[in-house]
Amino acid sequence: MLSERLQLKLFLEPTVVELEAIIPVFHRFIREQVVNELLIDVIDYSHVPDGPGVVLIGHSADYYVGAMDGKYGLVYSLKRGGPGASMRLEDSLRRLVNVARLLEQESGLKLRFQSGALGLRLTDRLHAPNDDLTFESAKTEVEQLFARVYGAQVAVERVREARGPLALGIRVAGSPSLEALLEKLGGPPAAYAAPSGWH
Amino acid sequence: MTVATTWKQMLAGRVREDWAREIDIYETQLELRKKGKIEEKLFAETRLRRGTYGQRYDNGQRHDGQRTQTLPFPSGELTKGPVTMWDAPGMQRIKIPFGKLSADQLDVLSELAEEYSDQILHVTTRQDIQLHFIHIEDTPDIMRRLAAVGITTREACGNAVRNVTACPYSGVCHTESFDVTPYANAITYFLMGHPDTQDFGRKFKIAFSGCKDEPCGLTNFHDAGAIAKTRVVDGELKRGFEYVVGGGLGAVPYPATLFDEFLPEEELFPVTQAICRVFARLGERDNRARARIKFLVKKLGIEEFKRLVLEERSKLRTDERWLSFLSDLHITDEKPLRAAGSLPAAPYPDGFEAWRKTNVRPQSQQGYSTAKVTLPLGDFTPAQGRALADIARRFTGDSMRATVEQNLMYRWVSDADLPAFYAEVARTGLGAAGADGITDVTSCPGTDTCKLGISSSRGLATELHKQLTVLGDTLAPAAQELHIKCSGCSNSCGQHHVADLGFLGVSRNMNGRRVPHFQLVIGGQYKNNAGAYGLAIGAIPSKHVPKAVKTLTDRFVNERQPTETFQAFVQRIGKKQIRKLVDELSIIPTYEQDPSYYSDWGDPREYTIGDLGVGECAGEVVPLVQVGLAGSEREVFEAQLLLDEGNSQGAAERAFSAMVQAAQALTREKNSFLGEGVDEIVREFRSHYYDTKLFFDPFSGGKFAHYFFRAYEHRGEASVSKDAAHQLIEEAQLFVEAAHQCYTRIAGALP
Repeated sequence: MLSERLQLKLFLEPTVVELEAIIPVFHRFIREQVVNELLIDVIDYSHVPDGPGVVLIGHSADYYVGAMDGKYGLVYSLKRGGPGASMRLEDSLRRLVNVARLLEQESGLKLRFQSGALGLRLTDRLHAPNDDLTFESAKTEVEQLFARVYGAQVAVERVREARGPLALGIRVAGSPSLEALLEKLGGPPAAYAAPSGWH
Repeated sequence: MTVATTWKQMLAGRVREDWAREIDIYETQLELRKKGKIEEKLFAETRLRRGTYGQRYDNGQRHDGQRTQTLPFPSGELTKGPVTMWDAPGMQRIKIPFGKLSADQLDVLSELAEEYSDQILHVTTRQDIQLHFIHIEDTPDIMRRLAAVGITTREACGNAVRNVTACPYSGVCHTESFDVTPYANAITYFLMGHPDTQDFGRKFKIAFSGCKDEPCGLTNFHDAGAIAKTRVVDGELKRGFEYVVGGGLGAVPYPATLFDEFLPEEELFPVTQAICRVFARLGERDNRARARIKFLVKKLGIEEFKRLVLEERSKLRTDERWLSFLSDLHITDEKPLRAAGSLPAAPYPDGFEAWRKTNVRPQSQQGYSTAKVTLPLGDFTPAQGRALADIARRFTGDSMRATVEQNLMYRWVSDADLPAFYAEVARTGLGAAGADGITDVTSCPGTDTCKLGISSSRGLATELHKQLTVLGDTLAPAAQELHIKCSGCSNSCGQHHVADLGFLGVSRNMNGRRVPHFQLVIGGQYKNNAGAYGLAIGAIPSKHVPKAVKTLTDRFVNERQPTETFQAFVQRIGKKQIRKLVDELSIIPTYEQDPSYYSDWGDPREYTIGDLGVGECAGEVVPLVQVGLAGSEREVFEAQLLLDEGNSQGAAERAFSAMVQAAQALTREKNSFLGEGVDEIVREFRSHYYDTKLFFDPFSGGKFAHYFFRAYEHRGEASVSKDAAHQLIEEAQLFVEAAHQCYTRIAGALP
């Protein structure tokens, strides 16, 4: 994935999401270093309609639980660093699934993710402009990765938003458990490797 | 064809040459700092002048509610300023002169929030846009992309001329003398980078207003304020400005002083330039806390200050730019996109009529209106930004203005389009009514992202917004028009001094734990360009603030006399009544009974930590020092009452007495034999707390102790003006707050 920044989203099963209840969970993730990443703070944007919701700010990536495109879900937003281009999408999926799984395990939240429906936005207009060429390249990469991980048919469509970043809707047949997906992806991710020049 | 691999390549030729060069230089400085070839203080000022600020936790430490953890940033010990880690997320402030935004600019701002920030664009109380959680190494590209659409972040922060603000109604207003937009526009670029504005000891803020009576320009709390005025000279109508200087909020607010009741337009630039030169030459440089121009004006007196400025003015070499802009005052004129019209007949979209009532105002041009989009806490998303840009393209053209109330205003909406315009705004999710009213609470970033925040002003603002919105139309019209403003600390970025109900974040030790509080500030006036500043009545536990707001607004609605303003109502019933309410609300359950009081709004981390007060007697034993500090707070309040009665002398004496009592209470922790004599208290306080720097806080140093020492030096002076007494009360309040903080620190309850 040439895009150095991306946002990968797992949608939630339709339900009433109490965003306020996410806040203490994210704070605990930081306090107990539950996720193997440098996490910094929690910001509540639940007052913004269709906003990112509750944001777990990290150094390399942020996690949002909100309804940014009108549908509730968890977004993994890669900002910098991480593995090289060839592993970027897979690593992002692994981290997303890992945190989704952790949220599902929070009994107080009662969240269930639809593992077969995802969204991808390439938030890097320099390296991944919203054009047909980038779409075709991203589509191929998505299809290959998801077919391998899910072992099922993958449908990728382009989601058009005027002047927005390139956005893709991903549908995969079946709905494997997040645990099973994570296992396929190699289990909970290790800390980011820090190649030279990485910040 | 070469494929662009950097934004610099991609935007080549699309950025003004001088701006491109500045950004290249900044990027080089950034690289040099990474190699350790630029000293960190110098680099800090460099980035601040480009609008790149630090944020909370950028010292690499964060308290997680139980203990302080180190944030292991990858760049290790590399810093971007003193105690500011390189990798720590920061804030990018983006100067938007007088808040004017084009659709293309809004598109790019949205892209930047989407790619580099946390999906939120934030409108500030000075018409800027801020992006948070930005990595410093992304800032050069951010600046290039902004520059490509005509926005520079130059001098958005640092000791420079900050964003020039102006009334958003300029040019379309019924009460203005003339449109101040071209003046605000021209002076922005005249002073930006001007050699006479590069050597200030502190920042300098300018505001323009089209008229004197409305609040829109808020000139009264600016370093320099220009209010449009006309005068007939030799039979000819001349334009000029009522020009004021030395206003400011901050810890101790100063009302601006009249410099010239009619400064001709030809003199606007040279006089402002001369003021900048005098400020650079004579303004305080060592003590940051007293470096704003308000202190210089006060120290010299307005007459001497004016003499020095005019002397400086007479020495200036003529600059053709002083007058050249006057030949093209139409440069900022806006052309409506759509023909003027009349509001079509009903039916209207749901919510339209309520929205129109509060968010729409007829322009001075027949058939057009301004329309405000209410941004919750000034926030909106990139998708909303693009939709709002499209609305401008469809209905108004490039005439949007970010407002000091943290909203977005469209001008030139044809009345015929209002229902369709509203329908489009509502589709973005931002169609709420109530712009600039009680539900539209203004707030600074507070503890969310600001290093100086003490309490969660945004958390409180969100909660107040929620609770007041639920009340909705059941709120009486008089209450709906009130202004609520929240600041997370005494620096007043939320402008709490000029609200009907202002809240200022503080903390208190209660039941052996630290508890977030807000000082209730009453008596501020928003009209007349922020005509009067309120004073703190007392501290309320954060979780009781919504109840305080409800009780106060109910009383106002039920007991007000016809047409009575909130300010007049408070004056009539007396602050004692309000203080009584504060006292009633000051009691909270113990931690064991309800721990939620010991966390802030929107942040479940325990606000207090440490091992103090969890023992079995903690709930019952009140240390003597707390009794003394409570007494000093009471005295500050009594000083206010004396001031309200017109007894300035008595008010000043009582304010000083409050400081003495606080100092005594604190000093007795170190010297239990301390007596009652003022000289002894000052001496011992100095020895135990000032000389040892125990009283210093990480950000303000010894500023608040200086208030006390200065009050001591000037005690008993024969005549005290109302303004001087007001200021002393503010200083006493801050000194008492600092004493609370100091006590908490030495008692070991603070992280």
